[in-house]
Amino acid sequence: MSDDFPLPDTSWEPTRPFWEAAARGELAIPRCGSCGRLCWYPAERCRACDAERLVWTALSGRGTLFSWAVVERGWVKGLRERAPYVAALVALEEDACVRLVSNLVGCEPAALRMEMPLRVVFRPLPFPDPERQVIAPMFAPAA
Amino acid sequence: MAFDPIAGQVAIAGVGEADHSKASGRSARQIAAQAVERAIADAGLEPREIDGLCFSGGMGEAFDAKAFHECFGTSQPIFESPRGGGMVWAATAPAVAARALRAGEARHIVNVFAVSWATDRDRMTGGPGQFHAAERFKRNLEVPFGWFPQPVYFATIARRHMHEYGTTPEQLGAIAVACRRHANLHPGALMREKTLTLEDYLARPMLVDPLRVEDCCLISDGGGAYVMTTPERARDLARPAVLVEGVGEGHSATGLYWSQQPDFTATPQVFSAPAAFEMAGIRPADVDVLTLYDPFTIVTLMQIEDMGFCAKGEGGPFVAGRALHYDGGVLPTNTHGGLLSHAYVLGISHVIELVRQLRGQAAAQVGNAEIGVYGGYTGAMASTLVLRRDR
Repeated sequence: MSDDFPLPDTSWEPTRPFWEAAARGELAIPRCGSCGRLCWYPAERCRACDAERLVWTALSGRGTLFSWAVVERGWVKGLRERAPYVAALVALEEDACVRLVSNLVGCEPAALRMEMPLRVVFRPLPFPDPERQVIAPMFAPAA
Repeated sequence: MAFDPIAGQVAIAGVGEADHSKASGRSARQIAAQAVERAIADAGLEPREIDGLCFSGGMGEAFDAKAFHECFGTSQPIFESPRGGGMVWAATAPAVAARALRAGEARHIVNVFAVSWATDRDRMTGGPGQFHAAERFKRNLEVPFGWFPQPVYFATIARRHMHEYGTTPEQLGAIAVACRRHANLHPGALMREKTLTLEDYLARPMLVDPLRVEDCCLISDGGGAYVMTTPERARDLARPAVLVEGVGEGHSATGLYWSQQPDFTATPQVFSAPAAFEMAGIRPADVDVLTLYDPFTIVTLMQIEDMGFCAKGEGGPFVAGRALHYDGGVLPTNTHGGLLSHAYVLGISHVIELVRQLRGQAAAQVGNAEIGVYGGYTGAMASTLVLRRDR
């Protein structure tokens, strides 16, 4: 594992726009310029219609809680230090078939409910070195 | 993908397991060699009579012809295929062997799989998480949020299954308890000495809620091998022949990106099992003993549903109580203890256990077992192998 684990490589081209958007406070996902569907994870061609033109598009940041896991005891170095934490899949409002892997904030694990409405918030990924701050889209209860 | 019909073309004539253990300092090659040596001896063959090898091209030890000759001091020509080993390939290696046997390329083909992941994990050089951390979309879109490694994925899947179908911790626990009871009876199982009741299970703390440690597989050093030949030749060898009757394989359209799998609580067994059962001419109700690739209890439950042993969503009530136990259960499953309680050798021992069951030589022997099925799984793929006792 690299020294930066578990931080992302924000310069890796296929996901660079995702992290750049998060840094300016936007949730962006590639949308097909031909059929209009969201294409997640990023790909070179649209998985629905095979068109080549995919455009990173800012979304509403609203979604619902599809499922989650409460990592009570982390055992991987770099994640162990975060435990307990909630890793979640969030179904996006624009297309519920697109699920974003994210973290939940501002809500106790016991208060989580399936399909509860969520809204995006932008927070730094927990990491010991403050020089290596990466802003990520996370989710909080919408109410 | 569909396989050519191979029913009745391949027999398993010998099986062997290495010593399974926690971190042992052994190399995967040493482990593979021990398993191969035992499988060849079980069949009543000599190493110089082996002229075919199926091994893992991607996971675990690539025990190829060069490795074989170095270990056994042999020099005969050997047919090689990297489309063997454990996981889904423990089920599909017989399809590779059928082609080679038919073409006259080999007469006695060994499929082998071995890992030293307990040793590797302690040295931080490998283990099951490494493969996923190296996949760059997962590394950049999942790992940063701690959706990693496998127990976190399958806790998320289990919670969704609970939501959609009402599956309970007691039902997942019944799977862990059945496997542990079988391991307690198996001389080679890592959990031979550790018992587990449902009360014990429910009292254990969460590891990744809703999964406990007991819902998750072991991490082991170990391996196994089996010898394939034609049924005619197998009948002249040392052990009762076990015949390959059906093979199937299925793929998830979203591959390893579980988060995007449209049917989140299903496995590609929905494609694989029907194909294998059709090739074998059997129905799910004909199966006497089942072994399932079981990295997590929820994977056992989903495969039981997806292979058609019960309706989708009814897996929880189906597995409850003693349904999976070898002695009187409606569907004896993972009668060696599985990945949960026998050893994490990625499915090769699941096939070996079926062979022992169909020979009538298993530790937790199912009465009059005639048809055995293995379900392999990688997340992105599933496979199915149907074996039958020789009449």
